[in-house]
Amino acid sequence: MKPLVIEHIFKQYGEKTAVSDLSFEVSEGEIYGLLGANGAGKTTTMRMILGLIMPDRGEIRYYGKPYGSEQLRMMGYLPEERGLYPKLKVSDQLIYLGQLRGMSRAEADRSLRGWLERFQIEEYYNRKVEELSKGNQQKIQFIAAVIHRPKILILDEAFSGLDPVNVELLKSTVKELRDQGMCMVFSTHRMEHVEELCRNITILDRSKTVLHGSLREIKRRFPQERVVLATEGEVQGLESLPGVRSVLRTEAGYEIRIEREDVAQDILRHAMAQAPVRRFELMEPTLNEIFIKTVGERNE
Amino acid sequence: MNSLWIVTAFTLRNKLRSKAFIWSTAILAVLLVVGANLPYFLERLNLGGSDEPKPVGYIEGAYPEVVQGLEAFYARQENPDIRLVAIPSGGSPQADEAALRQAVEDKTIKGYILFADRPEIGFPEVIYHSSSLMDFTVAETLRIALESVKAEMVFRNVQLSDAERALLAAPVAVHTLLIDTGEEGGKTAAEQGVAIGLTYAIIILLFMAVTITGQLVATEITAEKSSRVMELLITSVKPLRQMFGKILGTFTAGVIQIGLLVGVFVANLMLPHNRGALEALGIRLDAVEPKLLIFALFFYLTGYFLYATLFAAIGSIVSRTEELGQALSPVMILSIVGFYIAIFGLRNPESPIVVIGSYIPFFTPFLMFERIGLSDPPVWEIALSIGILLASILLFGWLAAKIYRTGVLMYGKRPSIKELVKAMKAYKV
Repeated sequence: MKPLVIEHIFKQYGEKTAVSDLSFEVSEGEIYGLLGANGAGKTTTMRMILGLIMPDRGEIRYYGKPYGSEQLRMMGYLPEERGLYPKLKVSDQLIYLGQLRGMSRAEADRSLRGWLERFQIEEYYNRKVEELSKGNQQKIQFIAAVIHRPKILILDEAFSGLDPVNVELLKSTVKELRDQGMCMVFSTHRMEHVEELCRNITILDRSKTVLHGSLREIKRRFPQERVVLATEGEVQGLESLPGVRSVLRTEAGYEIRIEREDVAQDILRHAMAQAPVRRFELMEPTLNEIFIKTVGERNE
Repeated sequence: MNSLWIVTAFTLRNKLRSKAFIWSTAILAVLLVVGANLPYFLERLNLGGSDEPKPVGYIEGAYPEVVQGLEAFYARQENPDIRLVAIPSGGSPQADEAALRQAVEDKTIKGYILFADRPEIGFPEVIYHSSSLMDFTVAETLRIALESVKAEMVFRNVQLSDAERALLAAPVAVHTLLIDTGEEGGKTAAEQGVAIGLTYAIIILLFMAVTITGQLVATEITAEKSSRVMELLITSVKPLRQMFGKILGTFTAGVIQIGLLVGVFVANLMLPHNRGALEALGIRLDAVEPKLLIFALFFYLTGYFLYATLFAAIGSIVSRTEELGQALSPVMILSIVGFYIAIFGLRNPESPIVVIGSYIPFFTPFLMFERIGLSDPPVWEIALSIGILLASILLFGWLAAKIYRTGVLMYGKRPSIKELVKAMKAYKV
């Protein structure tokens, strides 16, 4: 049974539609990407998954069951707006949060110590949160989301405000949790993280689902319109080939935008006639491009 | 463990360990120790000071009959309030007054009396000039003495027995007894004094406890919201439990604080040296009715919960601590109005405004308590007002929970009531 199934949910705030007919499922050991511009309905969706607000229509099921206090305890949440009690010790508040999600004091304490050790910040056990650096506060925040070993984890902008080293640390932690079978919903603006972590995604735009499905298929659906070419010498006359939109000269060679995929073959032939080709690739579109194309076009 | 108790315990633990709590308790305890011992020290100071008769000047030769009568009256008293001092006349009324004023400045006298002729009665009008404003007791004994002098002057030529003369001279004593329809006897003056003092003290205590702890609840909720830890909390525990856990935890901290302070105060009052001082002031602790204390505790409890739910609801809709004060002001004004009606009602506990107010749940804790302490309202009136109070606690608790549920999710500008209602509908709380 799928840990999280969302079926045709709608949410209206007065006149404004926040979420309209959204459906997706997340399997065990899967990170599901929820993408969208600001105000697209991501936070509302997450709040509905967390049971903070109820959908007007549609259904959310957790291991086949509707929302209840049991579900509350199996979920972990890393909110976009980070926040802990600034004046309290790390141990006090994290044990409290663990207890609120049904752990005993001792269990929560053990789990907290394990996580601090993992992030190599054991010495912060007795420190106040306000005394920690921003990066370390983020780590504590992450521990707050996972201290009770949730089955469903909601990550809203999980890696924002972290330096590259800490991003890698958290990313590898997230992957590990995924491999242990945790089900995650992941929202971010950073497309490269989605490409690295998510199998399936939904792109929301102004409350509507504009793209939905497996990342690989979505990419396949979008035409490959970019050719990367590197040659030993100069290649003349690329711009004048039929079907070529633009040519960009880079350090390594050329980046050519084309109208149709078969134009790529013409480019290769044209280039080989002039100089030895070191590299030729028909690039698949990046998620970033897809996102800008779908969301950006609609916004024009 | 139930999450309600986890929240309660967490709130209580943080409160008890906070520096603000420890310091405020310590400072208040010191103030109370000083306050409890104050009567004793005042009495010690009094022994050498104002128990001596107060020197009051008069112009030599003016109304000798009256002055002699006064002197005779004070001579008969064991502890006379006044000692008459003769000041030589300056010749004219202006010079007389100047001489008396000079004597006051020289501190040979503390006040003086002047006579004004009233030929139609045959007894002069007496004007007492006092160096201090609040000199009512001296004026009062002066009046009693003058009445006695006048009576003696009238009856001088009448044959009276010694017993009759003593009767004439004895001041009339009026003791007020509070009518109590339920029990026999009624409250004596001492009991009444204690009742007024105690009621006054408890009303102040109630007001402070309710508003201070109530505001603490609101402040903490807003702080949780502004630090955004709220988002984690509401996804970990049901908002209703969280709100009531917070209210209960803060309440327990408040009870512990008040218990400590009252304990310190009463323990100091019970010290042997203080007991005498209190009795000298006419305060007897055993005159305190246990019924009154039970009602005080009850109204503290109910008043706190009524106000705390309101404070919690307001705390939940404010996103930033700086905006909280303004948002709380309607509730603060409500509590202050109740408090001031209670202070006004101390002298007149059965006035319509107090009686009507005692049925308004926000005022009941102050006003019904006052009526119970100072007058004797029928049982059904007490029951009715308590019923209304309990019903409104349920109502406002329910409403506050709904507002809280919605408010904690709303960030940014403080929502208007209309926006709040709209959001409540949208969130389906």
